Amino acid sequence: MIALIVIIAVVVVFWVVLYNTMVGKKNQVNNVFATIDALLKKRYDLIPNLVATVQQYMEHERGTLTDITELRAKAVSGNVSENERVNLENKMSKLLGGIMVAVENYPQLKANENFMQLQKSMNEIEEQISAARRSYNAAVTDYNNAVEMVPTNMLASIMGYKLRELFEIPETQRENVNVKELFKKD
Amino acid sequence: MKTLEELGGYYNAVLMPELRVIEEKRKKVLKKVFLWGGSICGLFCLILVGLILLGLGFQFIIFAVVGLAAALGLTFRLLTANYTGEFKTKIIKKIVSFIDEGLSYSKDGCIPRADFILSKIFHRRPDRYRGDDYVSGMIDKTKLRFSEVYAEYETRDSKGNRHWHKLFKGLFFIADFNKDFKGTTVVLPDTAERLLGGLGSFFQKMNVVRGQLIKLEDPEFEKLFAVYGDDQIEARYILSTSLMKRIVDFKKKTGRQIYLSFVGSLIFVAVSFRKNLFEPNVFKTVLDFGQISEYYQDLELAIGVVEDLNLNTRIWSKQ
Repeated sequence: MIALIVIIAVVVVFWVVLYNTMVGKKNQVNNVFATIDALLKKRYDLIPNLVATVQQYMEHERGTLTDITELRAKAVSGNVSENERVNLENKMSKLLGGIMVAVENYPQLKANENFMQLQKSMNEIEEQISAARRSYNAAVTDYNNAVEMVPTNMLASIMGYKLRELFEIPETQRENVNVKELFKKD
Repeated sequence: MKTLEELGGYYNAVLMPELRVIEEKRKKVLKKVFLWGGSICGLFCLILVGLILLGLGFQFIIFAVVGLAAALGLTFRLLTANYTGEFKTKIIKKIVSFIDEGLSYSKDGCIPRADFILSKIFHRRPDRYRGDDYVSGMIDKTKLRFSEVYAEYETRDSKGNRHWHKLFKGLFFIADFNKDFKGTTVVLPDTAERLLGGLGSFFQKMNVVRGQLIKLEDPEFEKLFAVYGDDQIEARYILSTSLMKRIVDFKKKTGRQIYLSFVGSLIFVAVSFRKNLFEPNVFKTVLDFGQISEYYQDLELAIGVVEDLNLNTRIWSKQ
């Protein structure tokens, strides 16, 4: 009788530990995702400032600047799906990267104090976003391993946990490095 | 930073006259060392013969040998202290300022014990701590300082006897990091994973003293290092993909055990060395460029951290 109770107790404890680990992993993923969101919002806050500063100088990039403003407005409006959002972000990263490269043609703008400060903040945000994306991927890998591996996979199917997608680090993120290189010259 | 070739020119033009004077002194010191050493050994032999004639036991002989070693060591230190000091203030100091004018050297200074503890690289506190050869200054936009450090901790066995263990011996380097951050991130040599594979990774996770284990995506970096920190995202913000690669390259270049930590917007780097750094060898001539180039290489390794880890790139909001 005692043996049976002990066995049941061990099984229950084992089950609880596994269950909590799974919940922990899922929450870790959500937590990091929330951070990415917060960082992207921080980037939105910088955009109006950036546009206001550069548009006085950049006559040829007016169209790009309008596009950035429109994309930002769409993204903050909130009524876009998760996939659309990622798409918007990628487009925005690309356009912003383009603007940062085009700055090379405007020496006056490059020397502008306000712009230099903004540029540093942008670099910082981009780097933080990239760090958060990498953390997200690490958390998702950990979670996905638990969903697929024995014995947690049984628990995952009972709990209805599904595999999550990894963030693709977009090409534009890597291109940013070149942009940084350009500014090292001065 | 000046190259070894440039140092060669400087060595011939500026250091040579000074070195010749020092070489004369070295010869005198060496003579004294042999004279005193010979006398002490002679005296020891007389005592030994006396002890044997008196028929004293084996333990007395051991006692005498230990006494001899201590006497020789002490005499050697006393005789060479002046020479070593002069060599450091005249030659090492010049080499340091030649490599970069922004740097200054102090032979007796060292990284304070408090900073060593602050780095959190070693979670055991040192009970005995000393160091010398302190270099500090600016390289472009980066403030840096480093010195040789020797830290030990003490344990007591069941009989209450003290035992000293080496915690760290080598170069300890502190610089201003180019990004702002709040938490702590520690990068340690990964012995567990290299030896034990997956099981090692399991033990790393259990290392609660260190905080969270941070799994990074660079496989080469992961093979060499284990990273702990209190914030997963911040650790990745600091250890960008390019910095990880730079750390791997630095580790390969030095071929030594290296430890890094990031605390309070500072970067700490500890590089293990067995030998004593920047010490002149009284038994070797100082006129040999080989010895001078060795000092240069050790200094270059420390000062080069700024360039190797790209600390002068200030494209983030930290100035």
